[in-house]
Amino acid sequence: MSDTDLSKPSTEAPLERREFLKAAACTVLGGCCMAAPIVAGVAVIAAPLRQKGAAVEVNLTPLDALAVGAAPRLFQIVTDRRDAWTQFPKQAVGSVFLLRTSETEVVAFHSSCPHLGCAVEFRDEIKSFYCPCHDSAFATSGEVQGKSPSLRGLDTLKVEVREGAVWVKFENFKAGIREKVATA
Amino acid sequence: MRALNWLDQRTGYRGLVDSLLREHVPGGARWRYVWGSTLTFAIVAQFVTGILLWIGYSASAQTAWESVYFLQEQVPLGWMVRGLHHWTAQLMVPLLVLHLMQVLIDGAYKAPREVNFWFGLALMGLTLALSLTGYLLPWDQKGMWATKVATNLMANVPVIGEGLQRLVVGGTDYGHHTLTRFFALHAGVLPAALVALIVGHIYLFRRHGITVKQPKKSADTTFWPDQVLKDAVACFAVAAAVLGLTIWKHGAQLTAPANPAENYSAARPDWYFMGLFQLLKFQDWFEQRLPGGGMLWCVVIIPGAIAGILFLMPLWSGWKVGHGFNLAFAWVGLGLFGAFTVMAYRHDFSDPHYLAAVKAGEHDAARVKALAARSGIPAEGALALLAGDPLTQGPKLFAAKCASCHGYDGHNGLGQPLTDPQSAADLKGWGSRQWIRDFLNPALIETPRWWGGTAFVHPPKGKERSPMVDYILDDAPAFSEPVKKQLDAALVALSAEAALPAQREADARDAALIAEGRKALISPEVNCTDCHLFHDEGGGKGPDLTGWASREWTIELIKNPAHKRFYGKRNDRMPAYAEREQLTTKQIEMITDWLRGDVQ
Repeated sequence: MSDTDLSKPSTEAPLERREFLKAAACTVLGGCCMAAPIVAGVAVIAAPLRQKGAAVEVNLTPLDALAVGAAPRLFQIVTDRRDAWTQFPKQAVGSVFLLRTSETEVVAFHSSCPHLGCAVEFRDEIKSFYCPCHDSAFATSGEVQGKSPSLRGLDTLKVEVREGAVWVKFENFKAGIREKVATA
Repeated sequence: MRALNWLDQRTGYRGLVDSLLREHVPGGARWRYVWGSTLTFAIVAQFVTGILLWIGYSASAQTAWESVYFLQEQVPLGWMVRGLHHWTAQLMVPLLVLHLMQVLIDGAYKAPREVNFWFGLALMGLTLALSLTGYLLPWDQKGMWATKVATNLMANVPVIGEGLQRLVVGGTDYGHHTLTRFFALHAGVLPAALVALIVGHIYLFRRHGITVKQPKKSADTTFWPDQVLKDAVACFAVAAAVLGLTIWKHGAQLTAPANPAENYSAARPDWYFMGLFQLLKFQDWFEQRLPGGGMLWCVVIIPGAIAGILFLMPLWSGWKVGHGFNLAFAWVGLGLFGAFTVMAYRHDFSDPHYLAAVKAGEHDAARVKALAARSGIPAEGALALLAGDPLTQGPKLFAAKCASCHGYDGHNGLGQPLTDPQSAADLKGWGSRQWIRDFLNPALIETPRWWGGTAFVHPPKGKERSPMVDYILDDAPAFSEPVKKQLDAALVALSAEAALPAQREADARDAALIAEGRKALISPEVNCTDCHLFHDEGGGKGPDLTGWASREWTIELIKNPAHKRFYGKRNDRMPAYAEREQLTTKQIEMITDWLRGDVQ
């Protein structure tokens, strides 16, 4: 901009003002040129932020199939699922452990580790849930055991026994934090 | 400021920026120099919107259309990203032509700028290749059929053509690998080549400097800010035009999902290929007159000669006649291109078959989007939504299987004129009160729209005309006014048998009239049951009117009209569609559901 020797200015001051106006006009016009792609782009990129996860109620098993005091059993959650444009009927979306604690009561644990989301398994030899990723262990009550990295116990899910059938309200929770917060 | 000094000491960026902005512009800034900058801007915009599209795109035969549909219809402002990308591509072609013409007119291609001119030609070729590959990616009917033509043309290049086609298509058939290959070309190979050539193009341009249009209009200046301002205004105009087109068209067109089994006769290339498209219609002209075959001339020799002459232009441009020839060649070429393009569009827009195909294509596109929005898309792809949809398949099946005798509101179901003279009843409004009233109208029954073309009205020698025709022409008109009223009530009751969804409210409202009509139908005055069975009453040789035109009745009739429930031995030429296995039950159901309006 200091390069004034090429054009022959009549006076100094009006030139500077004119140069400034030109520069400002270039900036505004240039900004306007890219405004539409940037606005639309931000909207497209940010679209997942507005997505909501929803809980589903699933009938998993007859109550009779679970014995009181037996080891927890793993059940798949099968439900209709929408993945962007595709509608999948009856797809496995996760799994839960069911544990019958008394004649009338069943406890359900989400099978994903509250630490960082790996799949927890039940190990008979230690009578505990165990995460093979970072060695978190959980008692059959769901509580954290020993020197586990997990900040909270296994996530329980709402269970209802209706007419001899076990219904579980399946939802996902945020991993890595102390509180149990649904992802929504 | 200190931070910038720090950066400058380590990178020398100020020197670079200064040298870029202080480009010497002898004779002052001019509007005629803006075209290169608008193209650079357009390419930057294409990179931005292209990567945004990439975020949502899935290249496979079952997900390409679906992902584009999702972006365009379900993602907020996704339509705008797609529209900006599409319309920028559309505008780049005229911008390329303007740039080329300015370079030719100003002599900016003459020595020592030959190599840069060739860079420009290569960039033009790359841009067209990007258009061609991008056209396929949505995997819609338009893109797939147009690309089929383009790749078949490629196969006609001697020696290497067939192998080249197979490499590009990814096999003998169009499918997953056509998309993955086109996508890799469109989003990887071609843009990388484009960037490399643009760097070379701009480097060479800076090396040789602007070719000043003489005489100089004003004092010398620098690129910044005078020329930059003009460039910015031009880029802004391009951006505004692109945004305007995008909003006006709400994005870019997405036709129905690609279906190799369903011819899409409205398939056309992008408008700037329409001239070449038109040239192919003259293939036979070349075939008759020139050796080597018309295809070779249209696909290889003529386009190759044009490219070759463009390429050689700088070599004889130092000679005054040579430069003149180049300009004449460019103007005549543009004129011919324009004329061929206009010819192609004039032909299309005066062709009812093309227009009907466009309409049918738009119908399919709107329908599949509505179905996808309602219930999502099955894993086997959006095509499955259309394949089982009565509103889509009904009229197509009607046109293919029924319209050689029947009409639908005078056309073949798809809005195209009937090819054979109509010889059976028009089925628009089948089952409705209007339909049955018109059928019983003595002024209409002998017209071709009703029974004028049937053996019921014009029996073969030795046979009598149908008693139904006697009834309509002779008996009913002689009824007394009260009986005529009874007959009309009977027709309303008969139409109620059809239980048409569109008449549900009217049927409920007129319950009393319908009850009266049911009585009239079997009364000795109106006397339908003399020939027809109606629930438990009457019977004879006429079709059973119990549940007349209902879904079940219609399906069974189409399956076998010669069944004794329907026309029996009196059946006039209508084939038993199920027994001859011409149509599956599902197909007959789709025709019926469409005719009756059972689905929305």
